[in-house]
Amino acid sequence: MAARKKVVEILSSIREMGRRELLEHESKQVLAAWDIPTTRVELARDAAEAVKAARELKYPVVMKIASPDIIHKSDAGGVRVGLSSELEVREAFEEIMDSAREYKPKAKILGVTVQEYMHRAREVIVGTVQDPTFGATVMFGLGGVWVEVLKDVSFRLAPLTVVDAKEMISEIKGYPILAGIRGELEADIDAIVDILQKAGQLAQEFPEIVEMDINPIFVFDRGKGATAIDARIILKEEA
Amino acid sequence: MAEEGIKAIFEPKSVLLIGTSGIKKRAGLASPEIFTLVIQNMQRFYKGKTHILDLRGKLSGAVKSFGKVPKKQDLAVLMLPPELALKNVRKLVDKGVKAIVAVAGGYNREQRERLVGAATKRGARLLGLDAGMGVLNTSNGLCATFERDIMPEQGGIALLSQSSSIGAAMLDWSRFYRAGISKFACTGDGADVDEADLINYLARDGNTKAICVYIQDVGDGRKFVESLREAVKRKPVCILKAGAVREGVRRAISRTASLAGKDEIFDAAFKQGGAIRVRDLEELFDVAKALVSQPPMRGNRVAILSNARGASILATGAIHREGLMLAKLSNKAAREITNRYSDIKAINPVNMTADAKAEHYKFTLERILGDPNVDGIMVINMLKSRLLELKDLETIAKAAKKSKEKPVVDVAVGEVDHMLVREVLKGEEIPTYALPERAARALRALYQYGQVLEKVRE
Repeated sequence: MAARKKVVEILSSIREMGRRELLEHESKQVLAAWDIPTTRVELARDAAEAVKAARELKYPVVMKIASPDIIHKSDAGGVRVGLSSELEVREAFEEIMDSAREYKPKAKILGVTVQEYMHRAREVIVGTVQDPTFGATVMFGLGGVWVEVLKDVSFRLAPLTVVDAKEMISEIKGYPILAGIRGELEADIDAIVDILQKAGQLAQEFPEIVEMDINPIFVFDRGKGATAIDARIILKEEA
Repeated sequence: MAEEGIKAIFEPKSVLLIGTSGIKKRAGLASPEIFTLVIQNMQRFYKGKTHILDLRGKLSGAVKSFGKVPKKQDLAVLMLPPELALKNVRKLVDKGVKAIVAVAGGYNREQRERLVGAATKRGARLLGLDAGMGVLNTSNGLCATFERDIMPEQGGIALLSQSSSIGAAMLDWSRFYRAGISKFACTGDGADVDEADLINYLARDGNTKAICVYIQDVGDGRKFVESLREAVKRKPVCILKAGAVREGVRRAISRTASLAGKDEIFDAAFKQGGAIRVRDLEELFDVAKALVSQPPMRGNRVAILSNARGASILATGAIHREGLMLAKLSNKAAREITNRYSDIKAINPVNMTADAKAEHYKFTLERILGDPNVDGIMVINMLKSRLLELKDLETIAKAAKKSKEKPVVDVAVGEVDHMLVREVLKGEEIPTYALPERAARALRALYQYGQVLEKVRE
């Protein structure tokens, strides 16, 4: 119930700010409260805060622009990866702020998020929607940029049993990539099952979360888990 | 009373047909012609008691007022135009009617709500509105429909349709395929009774062995899935759902919402409910007639037994396309077959020569049925340019019937020959097909249902 309370708190603070779209770090706070593994993230409003956050998270870190007006962070020059010193963090902060302002002068900028760095792994997407007929529904697919072109995704209604979740994973055409091709180890399927189930519970508990993308999720080799690298939560339009 | 209401839709002890011969216009289907047609159908087929109430009182055999209708009518078939229906629905409910079938449509929103409210106030259930094709029950002859010559043969398939026209088409095809029907109902706009209510009832109906549903949309998605989950524990459910176009959520912000088409989510719901989705009416009947007559297939390994090599090659491709595989015959079965018939190569597909007769089929089929490596069998018996005769087919069907564990489907390869075969094998409980591709779909559905049962037991 503590998790529920925490999520309620986050969502109502977003509402108070007059928004219905959660920023990456806010979405990740929700995921973390719901026990969905995610990269740790701190919002820094200035370079000094960024350095402090980086020290706590341990180098190297990732830094991303935090603005409700900038959705495609990379396009805005708002993402830096593998920063491993105080100097690099300070420079990155200024550069990200500058290029974001240049990209969209009128954008409201909250600052820059500092996040723990993860080694690349196989990428998947887990998402939820509220279907008008069936309610909370979970989606699974291979992550990355191709997902919308290939449409290689599967759906199930929440709540998901372990069997439902496993079927969702093995149903997509790209499944061999997760099972391991050419001598690769199998990805941590159980970790994906867990995220799918929890995402479904979250969407069921909170019908006001009308859309959610957890994309990408890095899935490590079997036994090593999976972590949400980016996430996006959209709340219901207020009547 | 809710359950009792649904039961009264199909199993009424007495039925009240209420309409009027006094209207001229076809007000939302409620015409005197339709009234007359329903009366004729009921008088011809229905074994229970029928009372006719004609508000104009001109029809012979009809009474003119509610006062003359005996109490305790289980079911009322309402064929009045909206205004008159609303005026009289209270009296119907007062007669203790447990269910009302509202054949006619043409109600506006406010009229619709008033009718449903008045009908269901004391626990009666309402089927419709706009349940044009009405209700059929082949075991008691209930034929509350205005369509002529529609009464199908008795059998194990229950049909539900949201649409009148598709309902009529289903009944047409069931007659053409000689697929026996237990019950039929048209749900119309589902103002009160919905598909889930009827599926719940049919799941427990002793005469129904498989439930086939045509839907365009569902109201309460969760209730629908729950009804499927419960029903498939007892019998298979096949669904034909209109609209397979990918359309994402409008004004989607996230990737997920832009990818979440209505049809994809329906597909997921059917999977979770354990229903078998079919693509068209042809497949619906191909699959249904196998599901009512054959045991589910426990694995995906199919053996083909054929008297024509070309047809067995087509069959092999079809089996793979349906996600099934060719069984590898056990040494024991293969040896027994070749020991008896040296010219049969006991490799799957098992091709017999063009002179194969009943005894070849019988012996070989029995060996394959007994083979633990085989889960289901497609028997191909071409008649053209072969020495096989129609009477040989009975032997094949009898041998197939002995198998209580494994499904057998029969292919004649050719529609003209298939119709001959179908006539000969009428009542033999072996599904027959004109093409191997269609038989392969039937086997796939039997496998799907086998998988569903496996999952239910876990």
